Amino acid sequence: MKNRLKVLRAERDWTQADLAQRLEVSRQTVNAIEIGKYDPSLPLAFRISRLFRMPIEEIFDPETGL
Amino acid sequence: MNRIEDSSRASSGLGRDRRNRRLVTIWSMAWGLAFTVVAFGIKRLEWSSEATLAGVIGTSILGLGTVVAYRRFLLETDELRRKIEVEALALAFGVGVFGGLSCWLLAVSGALATKDLAFVFVAMIFTHVLGILLGYRRYS
Repeated sequence: MKNRLKVLRAERDWTQADLAQRLEVSRQTVNAIEIGKYDPSLPLAFRISRLFRMPIEEIFDPETGL
Repeated sequence: MNRIEDSSRASSGLGRDRRNRRLVTIWSMAWGLAFTVVAFGIKRLEWSSEATLAGVIGTSILGLGTVVAYRRFLLETDELRRKIEVEALALAFGVGVFGGLSCWLLAVSGALATKDLAFVFVAMIFTHVLGILLGYRRYS
């Protein structure tokens, strides 16, 4: 599943560690989501959605894979 | 889902995670030490049946503590780490059950020289560690 996490993070000038801290997950988790190797759980997807103030479907695209 | 969500958020992959991991290490080391002492006592010192029973009960209690600590670590750790750990556990379980039973069949048939299948448990531990290493590599 593709996502815009890296772009959204870069727009805010956050490092992966910054984002990980805000989402309360490990930096490895943020990295794995960004490169599309790991799909976040529903609770984490909602946290990401709330953090960026965007609907989940505008961040994650379920129609496309790697 | 709530418990996992809450615990994941609380852990932050930092303080609580480190504490839980340390607890797992302490419990498993205590179990390993007790197991070694009891095995040595039974095999070399020819412990009495009472001492053996007390040793086995004590070791089992420490083993139970290790399981509880590991379960807590799994529930409260970061979600990607949990996935890696669970995948490694599945791999180790497969090696232990199916590999172990295959070895047992070979031992029963006489194709395997030894009937001591303790090496299966060692193989499970190595498989678990290998699974974790491969998991971190896969998701990085």
